[in-house]
Amino acid sequence: MPRDVNRELLELAEFHGEELEKIYPQWKYTADRMGLSDEDIAFAVDHYIPDNWEVQYKGIRMMIGAYLRETIDVVATPKMKEDGVKIVYGILPAIATNYTAIKHAGGDKVFVGFPDLLLVNVMNSFFHEAAPYFYRAEAEGFTYGCRHCPLNKMRFAAFSSGLIAAPDIIWSWGFNCDEGPKTDEMIKCLIGQDWNYVVSRIPHDTEFGIIDDEIEDRVKYLADMMKLGAQQVSDAIGIKVTDEAMAAAVKANNKYSFKIGQLVNMCCNADPAPLGGDALTMMQQPITLPFNTGFKYMEEALDVLIKEMRAAIKEGRGIVPKGAPKVGFYNVPFCIPWVGKMFRDNGVIISFSHVLTASKKQLSPSKYEDSWMQAAEMWLRMSIGQNLGSELEGIIEKIEMNHPDAMIMGFFDFDRWLGSHHKMLAKLLEDRMGIPSYYIEADFWDDRDYSPEALRTRIESVCQILKMKKGIVE
Amino acid sequence: MEAIMKELAKQAKARPVLLQKAKEEGKKVIEYTGNFIPEEYIRAAGAEPFLMCRGGDPEAPDAVLEYMLRFMNPLARSMAGYWLMGMDVVTPITDLIVMQQTDNHVGRISELLEFKGLPVFKVGVPPDWDKQLAVDYYKDQLKKFVAKMEEVTGNKIDEDEVRKNFAKTNAINERLRKISELRKKNNPPIGFSEFIKLNHYSFAVDNDVMIGKLDELYDELKDAPGKFMEDCPRILLVGHAVAIGDYVVPKILEDAGAAIVADFLDEGIRTYNDDVALEGNLIDNFVDAKYVNKVPIDIFQPAWEQRFEYIKKLIEENRIDGVVWYQLAFDEIYDMECSCVAKWLKEMDMPMLKLESSYEYSRESMGPLTTRLESFVEALKGGKKNA
Repeated sequence: MPRDVNRELLELAEFHGEELEKIYPQWKYTADRMGLSDEDIAFAVDHYIPDNWEVQYKGIRMMIGAYLRETIDVVATPKMKEDGVKIVYGILPAIATNYTAIKHAGGDKVFVGFPDLLLVNVMNSFFHEAAPYFYRAEAEGFTYGCRHCPLNKMRFAAFSSGLIAAPDIIWSWGFNCDEGPKTDEMIKCLIGQDWNYVVSRIPHDTEFGIIDDEIEDRVKYLADMMKLGAQQVSDAIGIKVTDEAMAAAVKANNKYSFKIGQLVNMCCNADPAPLGGDALTMMQQPITLPFNTGFKYMEEALDVLIKEMRAAIKEGRGIVPKGAPKVGFYNVPFCIPWVGKMFRDNGVIISFSHVLTASKKQLSPSKYEDSWMQAAEMWLRMSIGQNLGSELEGIIEKIEMNHPDAMIMGFFDFDRWLGSHHKMLAKLLEDRMGIPSYYIEADFWDDRDYSPEALRTRIESVCQILKMKKGIVE
Repeated sequence: MEAIMKELAKQAKARPVLLQKAKEEGKKVIEYTGNFIPEEYIRAAGAEPFLMCRGGDPEAPDAVLEYMLRFMNPLARSMAGYWLMGMDVVTPITDLIVMQQTDNHVGRISELLEFKGLPVFKVGVPPDWDKQLAVDYYKDQLKKFVAKMEEVTGNKIDEDEVRKNFAKTNAINERLRKISELRKKNNPPIGFSEFIKLNHYSFAVDNDVMIGKLDELYDELKDAPGKFMEDCPRILLVGHAVAIGDYVVPKILEDAGAAIVADFLDEGIRTYNDDVALEGNLIDNFVDAKYVNKVPIDIFQPAWEQRFEYIKKLIEENRIDGVVWYQLAFDEIYDMECSCVAKWLKEMDMPMLKLESSYEYSRESMGPLTTRLESFVEALKGGKKNA
């Protein structure tokens, strides 16, 4: 009897019984549409997932399941649109609550998601198969040589190939990024005028060390921009985001954030570490990536994982030996999961992601009562919303909180904002804290140019040095 | 023309020395970037302005690599690179570097300058220019810039002095427009190589002197014979910037027998088509002229369809035979726009050559570059002959 690899995958992702039977045809359809062959899925089930993810934990398997569910929804957007469901997209980075509030307000009448991020995430983290979409985008105008963002390539190619529907509106936050919002203009110009978009932007114009969220004019401008964008979204889909919907979105986000904060803190300070930073980052994602399926499935996975981590820590179980050096990342490249494995294989654990770890200020109450001012302030308190000098202070705080033995910068070579200042950050961190900080040129989403062979020597050298510093002799 | 160009080149070259003298005499020196900082206010504050827009050397972009991602455009990298190499005599004496924040390239390079301890002041220019909120924001930024000028110089800016300065830059614009119009002739008496240098000199030479020299030049050129071969291909040059010193590509094109008769660049050139009205509030007028009513720069959004309409107008008005898209390496937004423009030009049957520059003009690079440009020009010549 031939293998049914799709069924095996779903079972691995903790679908069983009736639920498995119900989701099986939906997943089969999704996999076909995405171009995942049985061989691709067999590779994922036999090698890629078990090699790179800690599937010994049920919570991790459930997390994979939650991502697969979301993928099914993303790929169903053309059908949803035919059925009259309003389609709302967004892009990273953003504050998810501004989008999940739309879902709270619209329920089943609206789809809300960031399809490019979700697709790159699922295709590369679990199947290592996003490359065909990147090639497609490159052939159709997103040139290879200019080092464009793989997320934008995915958005372009996913629409060009018919995998996702044209949105009723995509609300692109360009508070960091130039290329993200301009991708919508490019899609509209090159592929289809029905790609309806609205952009919200703010210039990077605060001087080094000025604290962005403390400039009231700046908070107000950003709040007004957000409000205007939200209004344009509402006008496009005919769904008004009520205060109640926003409050419900914030409440759900806060609940999840609190739990994920517990998990990260627990794992980063455990010795031996029971879980790597790539898995933690995958669990952190719903804070910045709205799931059309909501927090439900990720939160169930999170609850299970927290229990499993408590047990592992209590029993002294880890995925690296006790005393193994820990490295923090600017952002852990969870879409290229073999990076984390390569560190682990060399006796070093990846711990936290700076950009996804909340600072004390982020967790402190807002000084504003207006919800838009709060959202704007929240953005400006995030490291990615700040100038280099302010961001540095945030990293220092997180290093003091999570105690890594070194910081790894880089993996953002495609990003002229989030990826261009890492060498300066590395120097500043070494000067201020004496913590070794290494810059590795690589791509967070796409490993075509930075294969394991290309990065192995660099990663092995870093690991060797860190172990020597800790007096670990092999 | 040669004598006037030589004289202007000499004066422009002397500018850093004049700035050093001015500094010794107690004047403030203010560097600035791009077209969204009104230098007229710097002058009115009694300071000496200096445009940071040098490029064309491969070493300067490379000099920032110790601090910066390598996939940043070479013009932005050069802004810090020359100084890091010790090849910039103005930045060490500058009292302030005013940097327009239009994109992430210049944004992070501004931070590199701050990281190295240089005094930087940023002027935010929101790319979503079609919103009133963004327009108001930019106006507020300019007001802060004016206040900063007053703070740095210790001088209260006199609005009439600003008006006089705008009148002078309008006068320069008017003369550049007249000279540019001459490029519409069947055989233009002036090429782009000279025209872009005129623009560059105008940033460095005293305004009154420049106005006089442009008048002289126009009188000389208006009835002068053409400087190109009869019926040579007519080219439109589109791109981000031809920086001060980055003259290789235009020269090769013109040496190959093409005339660049029109240009559409976002930086490193005066926005000579867009005068600032002198009545009423000058900041409002500046914003109207350079931000609201001007053809948007590439990073603005929306922009590309409107920009292409402008390209079509230039093609028609200047009887263009081919378009050269001159792109700075790793300038990702221009690269994306280029894909759209290439598609639209193809639909019009208009030949286009995309050229990327990392300011690498070594002997090894020059051969292939020259061959590409010459081949394009030859193809255009062939096309004209067949037509």
